[in-house]
Amino acid sequence: MQKLGDFKLPYFFNYPPYFTLQPVRETREKQIQLWKELILDYCRSQKIFTIALEEDFPLFSNPVIERSLTHEAKEVFLNALVNEGRAEWMDKHHKKCLILWLRIQDWADYIINFVRENGFEDSVMTVEDLRSGIETRGTDLAGIDRGVLVRALKLLEQKGKVAIFKGTSADDEGVKFSV
Amino acid sequence: MRRRPGIAGLQSAAAARDQYRLVGENVAKIRADLMKEQLATFRSHLEEFARKHKNDIRKNPTFRAQFHEMCAKVGVDPLASNKGVWAELLGIGDFYYELGVQIVDICMATRSHNGGLINLQELCSLLAQKRKTAREAVSEDDCLRAISKLKVLGSGFEVISIGKRKLVRSVPTELNKDHNEILEVAQVQGYVTVEQVQKALSWSSGRATDALETLLKEGLAMIDDGHRDGKRRYWFPCVAPISVAVDLMA
Repeated sequence: MQKLGDFKLPYFFNYPPYFTLQPVRETREKQIQLWKELILDYCRSQKIFTIALEEDFPLFSNPVIERSLTHEAKEVFLNALVNEGRAEWMDKHHKKCLILWLRIQDWADYIINFVRENGFEDSVMTVEDLRSGIETRGTDLAGIDRGVLVRALKLLEQKGKVAIFKGTSADDEGVKFSV
Repeated sequence: MRRRPGIAGLQSAAAARDQYRLVGENVAKIRADLMKEQLATFRSHLEEFARKHKNDIRKNPTFRAQFHEMCAKVGVDPLASNKGVWAELLGIGDFYYELGVQIVDICMATRSHNGGLINLQELCSLLAQKRKTAREAVSEDDCLRAISKLKVLGSGFEVISIGKRKLVRSVPTELNKDHNEILEVAQVQGYVTVEQVQKALSWSSGRATDALETLLKEGLAMIDDGHRDGKRRYWFPCVAPISVAVDLMA
């Protein structure tokens, strides 16, 4: 089976018609379903948060069978994810898409779990620490999109589980957990 | 015989006819009795055979197929009833019902991909995957037998032959001759273009397009506009190489 790096591609990736938008409704629904799952799985495994439609994206073309998705097809598949709350368009013209392989709520839960398991209750960390610090290395938080992280933290703030405050340096914020 | 006149003549002719009839009936009766006896012997022998080779029949698909063939030749259907002596003897009734249910499962799971038409070979290998834990091996012959049992459900399970291949149909779509011919052409590469169909079958482009569009609407074909030459290809998952549907089952 074909691989992209260490990612195992599904069999349909080698079947040419899956790269053409299918005109028949039922067939198209199945096609969209398969692509949605593939995009989420791939982004999760590679920790990808944004897809730019006009740039090369390894998932959207298969050199082995010489097929690529058209712009329209990419937009249809991503739109399907957007409708399910698993992705968001980052601009009006649908050129960039934010992929939420974990929803904001799931990220919030993930952070709480991380805090509990590592004994950071009542500690203070910076947002940058969470993204790239040694503490989160090896977890899904490592390399998380900053915007996604901040939104998850804001959600937790609303629930009173963290307090966000401006740090000493202007470009970073501190987080105090009170789980 | 010299014709004798009068009532006596008529009477003796009638008497002779009666005699002939009696003799005839006797002969027929003797034959029927003999036949019955032979059949009874045969049946008991067959049962004995089945009992003796029960394990082989259950475990070995080739042997099972041969046993079925033998039964079919003498007009015995071991699967006719789940309560019959055969089912009790062999338990193979249940085996085929179980197989039937699994076949329905697979057909449903792959339907959105192949439109309800699946290659028998592919069905078998998916079946083998599904039955990993079951001890008995399953052959194509077993699949065909189980499918023939599914017919009573009236859901349109049917095996059709396209060229050398056998396909299992699980949707009520009726395929006409044109469609079958296209599927046969498609077997070579897994896809066809309108041009290829025209050329291979000497059809007009209208006829080819019509038939292909129907197959598309039925979900049996998928279009592919991505080839360099810009010609639309119609792919048929039901004749595609085995690997395509495998991860659709997961």
